[in-house]
Amino acid sequence: MIEFRKVYKKYDTGTDAVINANFVIEKGEFAFLVGSSGSGKSTLIKLILKEEEPTSGNIIINGKDTTYLKPSRIPFLRRSMGVVFQDFRLLPDKTVYDNVAYAMYIVRATPRHIRRQVPMILSMVGLSNKAKMYPNELSGGEQQRVALARALVNAPSMLIADEPTGNLDPDTAWDIMTLLNEINMRGTTVVVATHAKDIVDKMKKRVIHIQNGKIIRDDKKGGYDYEI
Amino acid sequence: MKYNILGYLIGEGLSNVFKNKKSTGASLIIMCATMIIFGVFLILGENINHFVTNIKSEQGFQVFIKVDATQEEIQKFGEDIRKIEGVSTAEYISKEDGLNTMKKRLKDDKGVLNGFNVEVLKASYMVKIDNLEQSQQIQEQIRKIDNFAKITSSDETITTLIHLANGIKIVTGAILLLLIIISIFIISNTIKLTVHARRKEISIMKYVGATNNFIRWPFIVEGMIIGMISSAISIVLVGGAYNFIAQELVNASFMKLIGMSLVGFGDMLSSIIVVYMLLGIGIGALGSVISMRKYLKV
Repeated sequence: MIEFRKVYKKYDTGTDAVINANFVIEKGEFAFLVGSSGSGKSTLIKLILKEEEPTSGNIIINGKDTTYLKPSRIPFLRRSMGVVFQDFRLLPDKTVYDNVAYAMYIVRATPRHIRRQVPMILSMVGLSNKAKMYPNELSGGEQQRVALARALVNAPSMLIADEPTGNLDPDTAWDIMTLLNEINMRGTTVVVATHAKDIVDKMKKRVIHIQNGKIIRDDKKGGYDYEI
Repeated sequence: MKYNILGYLIGEGLSNVFKNKKSTGASLIIMCATMIIFGVFLILGENINHFVTNIKSEQGFQVFIKVDATQEEIQKFGEDIRKIEGVSTAEYISKEDGLNTMKKRLKDDKGVLNGFNVEVLKASYMVKIDNLEQSQQIQEQIRKIDNFAKITSSDETITTLIHLANGIKIVTGAILLLLIIISIFIISNTIKLTVHARRKEISIMKYVGATNNFIRWPFIVEGMIIGMISSAISIVLVGGAYNFIAQELVNASFMKLIGMSLVGFGDMLSSIIVVYMLLGIGIGALGSVISMRKYLKV
């Protein structure tokens, strides 16, 4: 569960990135954060990941107010959420398998657990046969699948995706979205920041629309634009 | 499980050393250079120490007894010297001993001493004292003993030399300290380059939920390994150079003249290895910690 209570974010440069954001994304929900570039949706993602601190207001994640979280506890907060980015952010000198296993090393999983879990998650994203390849040998869509596998391998309660299809062609993008939907079906909360209009329209999921830092619309089963 | 994590972190550090060949090479060269300079001063310091200890153990003077003194008189003379407060030893040097010493000094030219009448030489006592400052006072007392002939002393030279050596030691210490600071600075900058090149990787680690220590340790291990390798290289280079120079110096005439010897590298080796390894590992680790601080704030 992610809850924003009267959240403001003003950057040192003087930009008001988020103005009075109030919303609740329930456990198991699928929500799109939409808006044009510079609208503030990336800031919202950064606030959820606690990469940025809100200027005022509270952000509650899984029932815990993260406002007063000690910096040393941030890694543990992040372990409760898987993160996917537009540019995949894979470790280039590690194989697909190791990229995914890496996230498990960090949470100090046992080698036995790692050997069991990684192949399972790779088969879920359809990459079982590419485990020994390096990221630069994969297509964009495949790289994003690796990133998804890495995000999901520790079974986080929520998945945060920042423009996950931004670098992909429409067909591949749709594949990734279908995968995200499947993940959501298994009970993981999914939050996707995007400006892929057609996908948002097609999925008929909750849409939180942000413009110039303000949330201007929050539709339970919306499309990208007002009219729909 | 603890072992598993430790093994993983050390393994990562090790593979980083070999993966980032360019920056590892740069770090190695710079660190070796500083450590070699460091070694030069370290060895200089060791030798000065050695020199001072030698001189201190030799502080004292030679007291000659009149040529015509009888064996009993000589005996008594020695006892009288030993009675004086502040005298630590008084070693008897017979006329024959004196001649042998002269022969030794002359080495190749000792032929001039052939047929030399040992009886014209004076017997003497080599007097060593506890405290150099009492030297004048003790000499005064010795002069009063019967059959006294003369005193040869190198007190002033020795005092000056010790003062000089102490001065050099302080300067060397300051230079060593400066070198340590400089190398930490240089190493932290070189590692900063590596860290900077991998800042993306570090940010990924942070997003996946890695703790700062988990990210930091492979870099620290990397720094320590680089430190260790440069220490080993420097020891070999410094040792080789020192042995060569020492060989040359032993044969140099002025070294013989002042009766100075160099410390053998083997004698210093164990302490040099310890100092170098500690220093290399320490500098490497500290350099990594310093250079990482900025990048861990994601």
